[in-house]
Amino acid sequence: MSDPATRGAVDRVIAPEPTVAPTSAPEGGEVQVIASGWRLALGEFSQNRLALFAVLVLVFFILFSFIGPLIYHSNQTITEPLSTTLPPGGGHPLGTDQNGFDELGRLMKGGQTALEIGFLAAAIATVIGTVWGAVAGLVGGLLDGAMMRFVDVLLSIPFLFAVLIIATKYSGTVITLSIVLGIFSWLIPARLVRGEVLTLRTRDFVSAARVMGAGQARLVFRHLIPNALSVVIVNVTFQVADAILALAYLGFLGFGLQYPNTSWGDMLGNAQNNVTSGYWWLVYPVGACLVLVVLASNVIGDALRDALDVRLRKR
Amino acid sequence: MIGYVIRRLIIAVIVTIGIAAITFAMLHYLQPSPAAIVLGTKARPEAIASWNKQHGYDRPEIVQFWSYLKGIAHFNFGYSYKLSQSVAALFNENAGRTAYLSGAALVLALLIAIPLGIYQAVRRNSIADYTLSALNLTLYSMPSFLLGVVLIQFFALNWNIFPPGVSSNITSTWAAITHPSQMVLPIATLTFITVASFSRYMRSSALDNLAQDYIRLARAKGLSERAVLSRHLLRNACLPMITLVGLSIPALMAGNLLIEYLFNYPGLGLLFYNALNNADYNIMLAYTILIGILTVVGNLIADIAITAADPRVRLT
Repeated sequence: MSDPATRGAVDRVIAPEPTVAPTSAPEGGEVQVIASGWRLALGEFSQNRLALFAVLVLVFFILFSFIGPLIYHSNQTITEPLSTTLPPGGGHPLGTDQNGFDELGRLMKGGQTALEIGFLAAAIATVIGTVWGAVAGLVGGLLDGAMMRFVDVLLSIPFLFAVLIIATKYSGTVITLSIVLGIFSWLIPARLVRGEVLTLRTRDFVSAARVMGAGQARLVFRHLIPNALSVVIVNVTFQVADAILALAYLGFLGFGLQYPNTSWGDMLGNAQNNVTSGYWWLVYPVGACLVLVVLASNVIGDALRDALDVRLRKR
Repeated sequence: MIGYVIRRLIIAVIVTIGIAAITFAMLHYLQPSPAAIVLGTKARPEAIASWNKQHGYDRPEIVQFWSYLKGIAHFNFGYSYKLSQSVAALFNENAGRTAYLSGAALVLALLIAIPLGIYQAVRRNSIADYTLSALNLTLYSMPSFLLGVVLIQFFALNWNIFPPGVSSNITSTWAAITHPSQMVLPIATLTFITVASFSRYMRSSALDNLAQDYIRLARAKGLSERAVLSRHLLRNACLPMITLVGLSIPALMAGNLLIEYLFNYPGLGLLFYNALNNADYNIMLAYTILIGILTVVGNLIADIAITAADPRVRLT
């Protein structure tokens, strides 16, 4: 149920819950340490133990997927008809799948593609959304109206259904799936960035830059986007979580990566049959990996939002 | 109010046409004509050309779109060449079962999420609140079908309480309603996933309202905590849920697709899934547009309902 449309739009309806921060006013004569905004946010973030744990979880899975295969060697290329669906034990800590591939090694391989697609799709969505939102917000007027109505229309097209339709036609590779997921997920960042830019563009530093002769492109890329970056960064973590979930849906329905390549989502394809056949080791380990990575991304996103939100920060 | 509704209606119609245009363009790009499917892959080019001419697929795209749009206005969504039936008839046949599954899940989710959110807000930062929040976030981060698989594992395979899937004798909406034991797991799965996304908003809405003066006043007048919560807090804290329900339609229908496929429940979701595998583009096109229209209508109703329910919302 993590739908990007719901998440972004409702966040505007309900302001984030204000965490009670004991605002201790600096006493007279005390000198406040001046630090950059990013450093302050980092300090705030590093005090959130849950978020630090989530970062550890994410780092663990990145190492597991990309460094793991260098340490744990397993057969992932030749199908072995004689050793299919072996339960865990012996030379296979997590058993083998229907093709005789070692499941633990498969988990690492699927993790690589899931993380790659998650981050790549998030990057594509963020870049498109940021530029779209910044341009619409800065130019304003009729163009802004047209650009944002286009976003409204696309937001009403059900994400999963559109992605599935496109996925029927393109063979699933890491690049095509990332692009398909990315081009249907840039709407929320576009709205967020436009909102930021609308408040930023009336500020003095933008007027100053304009008076000094900065062109529109320079205003957008040098002044507006860097200042709207905090909103974007928070959104990226949610985008990664959503892309990995969407990938799981595609894989489950059989529209993910093309065999023999695989992702965590594809490994969950036909999960119901594996469970009813008693092959639990083909479902729960990969399910746990997926949930942990998405959960970690969501926790990091929540913590970043709290850390970057100036209103919630203790001074 | 009337002027506001009319203006919103006009915007809704324009957005609907936009949805139809983008979906139509997307499908047209993927498959310009169903001729190859109807006539088979070995059909001669002349046969395809004459079929296209006969069925109007040789006209300019914009003309085809216009006639498709006119069709939608008359609830004519085209023809499924794979199933040899009109899409409207297929929808008519399956919509009841999907409405039953999704509607039941939505109502149950609201009935659970609203009290749950209020409970968490009242017991804020208690162990119960932390546990429920953690549980919610985990469910929220879980693909919906995975929860379904876990439920199948325990309730169907280990404990044998409910069947693991819907049997083939569920052929009508009435059959689905009169076989409740088969529907427990599908409805429960969709309900829990929806609760996970609703209750966090309900909790923060209840928290916002608990900090307001009217709650303090109600308590100061000596009302019991029960009356404060059920008479005063509940109604105000539920207002954002109106908007949320309107916005959650695409996610609900996506969940519905996955759950119908998982439990083999014959509804619109399963129809769409089969269409994906059979390149049955008219069904895909029509169902995507239908959900788009549902979303627009849902948001419209939610916006009107919230202006009616909350006098602080100004009509602009």
